[in-house]
Formats: sequence, structure tokens, C-alpha cells
Amino acid sequence: MSELQVRVVSPDSVLYEGPVASVVAPAWDGRVGILPGHAPMIALLGSGELTIDLPGGGSEKFFVAGGVLKVEGPDLMILVEYGGAEVPEELPASADIDMASIMDAVESAD
Amino acid sequence: MAGSSDVKRRIKSVENTRQITRTMELVATSKLKRATDRVRAVAPYSSALASIVGSLYAPELSEKFPLLRRPEKVERAGVLLLTANRGLAGGFNSNLIKEARNLLERLAGEGIETDLHIVGKKGIAYFRFRGHAIASTRIDIGDKPSMEEAESVIAGLRGEFSAGQIDAVYIVSSEFKSAMSTPPRSMELLPIQGGGSGGLDNFILSPRAEIILRKLLPAYLRNSTYRALVENVAAEQGARRSAMKSATDNAGDVLEYLTRTYNRARQGKITQEIAEIVGGAAALE
Repeated sequence: MSELQVRVVSPDSVLYEGPVASVVAPAWDGRVGILPGHAPMIALLGSGELTIDLPGGGSEKFFVAGGVLKVEGPDLMILVEYGGAEVPEELPASADIDMASIMDAVESAD
Repeated sequence: MAGSSDVKRRIKSVENTRQITRTMELVATSKLKRATDRVRAVAPYSSALASIVGSLYAPELSEKFPLLRRPEKVERAGVLLLTANRGLAGGFNSNLIKEARNLLERLAGEGIETDLHIVGKKGIAYFRFRGHAIASTRIDIGDKPSMEEAESVIAGLRGEFSAGQIDAVYIVSSEFKSAMSTPPRSMELLPIQGGGSGGLDNFILSPRAEIILRKLLPAYLRNSTYRALVENVAAEQGARRSAMKSATDNAGDVLEYLTRTYNRARQGKITQEIAEIVGGAAALE
């Protein structure tokens, strides 16, 4: 259970691929930490910093916005609408997550 | 020899043509390289998105989402044809147009009315010439389609589909199998095919599946369109490269033949002149 394989893909590139120690991702409702052996999960992403802790120490950081992540067994797939090393001046419209509509939808169901 | 200056002029002209086709071949080769990189770059994202959408999909959800709506009877369909703005790409544009015509005929045969939306000057010119009704046209998609362009291409059709004005959306574009093989294909873009593997019982979903899908379905549709645009550009450059390569080769063959004709004529002229001199000298003796 010590392995977690991560693949971070945006529409135009694979940002990161390989084994990691842990990942902290910006989910729609707050930051979510994922360690090896995490239960299967699909979560919508918001925008913010994606931190990948490497197995040998050290970490990689990306700024991501929009998308979804999926954990299944040892595989973690992170799909982002926008991903890059820097916070962009302007996000592409496709990466706009429109949090209000998600919140409305969540609350209206409860 | 009246022929020899004509032949010389033709040699010059074919040489010029060959220069142009060779340049176009080189330009297409470099554009093809970049376009292929883009096709490769989008593939991991597309397949990952398809697998997540597939696993979230459940038949009972289809009533809740306009984009999954499966009408019992399709009465009207949108057809989106992607062609190039430029020609000189072998059969690239005409293959796409033929595929679109087959699709339109098939739909008409099933009693389905169609709206034809065309991207690219070549497709527009053909259907205009034939007097076919065209619902919308776009000629501003260049060699590097962006996600925003994909969104703007599909937004109208998505709106019509969600509103129930049309019951299906097809896209006709080239499949980029390799630089040499780029067959045209028609795909059903809407309703979105679930292909649901399901099996989400032990997944933690955050938020609920419906809300995730509400975000992902438009992204999926946009991405499918983007992928088609990108593949089409790569296919166009591949087709142009092959066409220009064979044009360059043909020009080489023609040049060889013309040069031979020219040399033969020149040699014939020299031989004749010698014969005349020898004949003149013999007459003096």
C-alpha cells in the first residue's frame, strides 16, 4: 500500500506522471490530501495549488483550475482544465469553475 | 529548330512549379510535426475524461441531463462538417465532403431533417455551389485550434440540443491515424455516449455524481470537439504533404523527359548543321 501513481493531465500536456508519496489537491470544497491506500474517490476540483510530495523528499507545485480527480487503487488521475507552474493573469473560460452554481446544486438537494 | 525554345520555356516553368511544390511540402512537413504533437498532447486528457465520464454515467441519469437526452424519435439533427480553408491537399477536402454527403443522405433516408454547419472555406464553397442550405459557417479556425475556439464552434449546437430543437449532433472530420492515413469519419457527438462501466458503489463522490457530471459533460463535449479540430488540422497537413510530395516527384519526372527532348532536339540540330557543312564541302569538290 505504499505506492501511489499519479498522472496530472491538462488538455494540452501531461504535467506530471510517476510515483509519489502524497498529494494535496484543491477540491471544490477545500483542500484534499491523498496518501497511498486512499479509498476510491471522484472529486470535482476548484482552483489553487496542487502539491505533489515526491517519494525521495522534495515536492512539485502547480497551479491548477477546474477539472476532476479520481483515485482508484494505487492510481490517482488528476484532470485539470488549466495547469501550470504560475498563476496565470487570466484563466481560460473553460477553467472557470463557477462555484456558486455548484453550491446551489449541493444545497438544493439537501 | 522552333521547338527548342518552347521546350526551354517549359523546362523553366516546370522547374518553378517544382520549387513551389517542394516549398509547400516542407512547410506542410513542419506544420504536420507541430500538429501531431498537439494530437498526442490531447490524447491522455481525452481518454481520462472519457473514462471518468463513463464511470459516472448511469442510464437513469439521462433524464436529468439535457446533454444525455435520448429522444425516442430523432426528427432533426445537426451536422458539423470540418474542412480546411485551403486546398492543394490531395483528396483531403473532397473526402470529407463526400463523407458529409453520405451522412446527409443517410439521415434524409431515415426521414431526419438536417442542419448543416460548416467549418472551413472548402466545405462552404462546395455546399454553396450546390445550393445546399447552410445553417452556419466558420472560416476563422487556423492551424492551431484552441479550446476557446472549440467551445465557440460547439456552443450553438449544444444550446439547440439542450433546448430540444435538434435531437442529435454529428461531426464529420478526419481521423488522424498517421500522416499517411487520415480517413474521414462521422461521429455522433450528442447525445453523449455513456458506455457506462458503472461500478461506483464504493466510490466516495464529492459532490454527488449529478453535480460532477453537470461540470464534466460540457467539458467532455468541448474536448471532443477540440480533439476533432486538432486531428483535422494534422490530417490536413499530412494530406498536403503527401500531395505536394507526389507533385514534386511528378515535376521531376516531367523535367527529366523535357530535358531529354530538349537535348535530342539540340543534338539533332548540330547533326544537321554538320551534315549541311559536309554536304556543302562535297558539292565544291
